Parts: sequence; structure tokens; C-alpha cells
Amino acid sequence: MTGHRSLIFISCSLLAASCSTKIISTNIYQEHKEDLDNIERRYEKLNPANHFSLAFTDEKFNIVSVEMITDTLTRIYEFNVNEQRLADTLLTYNYDTAGIYYLIRKMQQTKVTWINSFDYYVNDQPQQLIILSIKPVTVRYIFSPPKYVALAYFRTAQSFDAKGRLLDSRRTKEVRKIKGQVFYKITDRICYTITDKYR
Amino acid sequence: MWPNVKPRLFYDNLKLNLEDPKSFYPGRSTNFCAYGALSYLVMERDPLAYVKFMNELYDKGEASFNNKHFKPSKAVMDAAGSLKFKGVLDIRHAEQMWFLALADKYKGYLNFFDKKFDEGDENTFWAATNLAKFDRMVSKLCGVHVEAVGSDLIKPWVKDTYRYLSKRIDSNIVSLYINNRIIHKKNHDKIKFSIPTHFIILRQIRKEGNMITLRYWDYGGETEMQVSSRTLKKIIFGIITIDK
Repeated sequence: MTGHRSLIFISCSLLAASCSTKIISTNIYQEHKEDLDNIERRYEKLNPANHFSLAFTDEKFNIVSVEMITDTLTRIYEFNVNEQRLADTLLTYNYDTAGIYYLIRKMQQTKVTWINSFDYYVNDQPQQLIILSIKPVTVRYIFSPPKYVALAYFRTAQSFDAKGRLLDSRRTKEVRKIKGQVFYKITDRICYTITDKYR
Repeated sequence: MWPNVKPRLFYDNLKLNLEDPKSFYPGRSTNFCAYGALSYLVMERDPLAYVKFMNELYDKGEASFNNKHFKPSKAVMDAAGSLKFKGVLDIRHAEQMWFLALADKYKGYLNFFDKKFDEGDENTFWAATNLAKFDRMVSKLCGVHVEAVGSDLIKPWVKDTYRYLSKRIDSNIVSLYINNRIIHKKNHDKIKFSIPTHFIILRQIRKEGNMITLRYWDYGGETEMQVSSRTLKKIIFGIITIDK
């Protein structure tokens, strides 16, 4: 009888939990602060010369999708990080090959699955922010969606409400959503969200 | 009439549309990609008609394009000029008006449960477009013959996709309705829903060995990517051939 009850209890718990994925660490940014800030700084240095984004499309962080962006054409190629083709392609299009390889290695070590920069506008003037997504260690149940932690690095201090939600500007109380997500304060210019898509 | 549309941004945008018709940008995270592809086709055929229409729409709040009358709802008129965090679309107020007016006028079954615009609906089913709706919009607004194979759920019955596309691309404009989630992955799940999500304009296609290089237009610019023959077949749900 007790065995049946336990089985029912476990089944019910599993069903109840089936819709949520749990991220093990509650403080990913602080735990990897140095590495994450280093990745952001390195990307910020490399990106203006030749705009690009990097995404790891496999769980083992071996396949990297490189978007090489110019005013007229975006080239999207996927490589195994050990392939010579990756270096050849970066060289062909005048990218800083060593710099990007360093970034790729750092991203693999810190489980950063995507990095890109975004234009946004304040008073009709262009601004830029960098977003990177981390693949955290999770407890995942059947049918539950994956979970990623996305960090947004702004260049200037931002405004937040009492709940720590990113606001549109100091003058409004409107919550600013990036890609449909509400972001929460870490520092004046860094905020985070939990999302089921890494980009 | 358009409380959030700034005149300077509106006219600057129209000027840009004329000078660089391929610069139409449907915005980040919106469901405007079909209207973006439609804009490409409209600007290929009659850019001046677009500018005339937009001027009239801005001045009077209603206008006709190729004998199709547009009178956007108040909610849409209020929203135009206020879309934010969509990339450069934020400051392109004419394009915001145009995309919102198109989504407001043309409805398909995907819009059945969300026909009235509410804030943020540019990212939802309110703005979504299925294959038949896209074909209808192209045919009515561009006044051209449109031939499509495929559907919203079942892929086109085409034996050799590469040959089919390369045969048509020289004498027609070819638009593709694709599952973008396979080539532009957003999570690491291995099982993905096999549904189309994106409209693009195919510009070039070439084959080297088993790899196919596609060059296509979307989001205000061209993209080049390589896929295998198998992936090409896997991603395409609709092939729309439009008279040049």
C-alpha cells in the first residue's frame, strides 16, 4: 500500500514539475563574472572592425555558427571548431582570426552559447548593447523547455524600477522588453533574463 | 491622425525607401517577415505607387493601393511610430505604418483568434501570415500572376528542389516559405516542430558537390548560407513563383 502511495506521489510530483526546468545555480553571473566580462570586452573590441556574431548550435559546444555581417551581405557558415575551414574563412574575410579563436575558446569554457550586438534607439539616436546567452546546468523534466540565462551589457547606466526590471528610460515607468523578455538588474549597465531560446 | 509618427522620420524613411528599395526592415522579433518580402516585390514593380500611397495614408488616414482600400484601425494608427527595440525599424516610421496597415487589413486563418491589434501584437499571431494569405497579398497588391507549390504543413511535392528553384529563378521572382528554426537554431533541442516560420526572397542559388549556396533577401539585406541538399528539402514548405 505504502509502495503504491509512493509511486502515486512520485508520479504526481513528476507531472507537476514537468513544465518547469530548474537552473541549478542562482548566481551564474557572480560565479563567472570575470570570464563573462572578459568575453564581452573581447567581443566589443573585435566587433566594430568587422561585425560578427557567434552561436554554438550543439550541446557539446563543438559546432559554431558564424555570422559575418557587412552593410550589403550577411554570410552564415557553420563549422566544427577544429576544422581548418573556420580559420580559412575568417582569414578570407579579413577577420581577426586569433582574436575570434580566443573568444570561441572562452565561450566554450564558460558555456556561452551565443554572443551578438544589437542596435537600439534613444531619442532617435543609435545605441548599442551586447547580448550573450549562457547554457546553465539544469534539472530538466520530460516536456519541459530548455532554459538559458541571457545577459545584456549596455554601454551606459540604465534605469530600473523597484522590482529591478529594466525600464525604457528614466522618464517613463514603462518596462523595456528585449526580444519580448523582461530583463532584471545585476549592475547599472548589466541585466539578465531567463529564456527558453538562446537567441 | 498618426499621433506617434514623427514627420521627419516618416519623410526620411520614404526617401530611403526610394533610394534603396531593398532596405525595408521588418524589425527584430516581429512577425512582419511576410510583409517585408511583400515590400520587396512592391518596390520591384512600382516604388512610386508605394510613396504616393504612403503620403496619402499619412495625410488622410486612408488610401488605396492598386485599387485596394486601406483604412487602418485607431489602435494601429496609435501604435505606428511607437514600436521599440526592433532595431532600425524603431526610427523608420513609414515602414512601421506600412507593416501595421498590411497586417491590419489582410487576415488568414492564423489571425482567427487575434484579429484586433493590442500593444505588442506585432510579435504575435495578429501579425502572422500563412502561405495562402501571402499569395493573396502578392497577387492583389502587385497585380501579378502567382504560382505556389507547398502548404503550411506539407512540403512541396518536388523531386529535385535545387533544379526546380534554379529553373525558375532566372525568369521569375522566387519567394520561399521556410522553417527558419532548422537553419537558425534558437535552442539545443534535437526534436523540433516541422513548421514554416519565415518568408524570404531567393536571389541566387548554386551547387557545389552536395552543398547548395543560397543567397536570399530578408530583413533589409542579403544573406548567404550553405546547406546540404537534404536540409534544403527539409526547410522549404512553400515555393512561390511570381511573374517578373
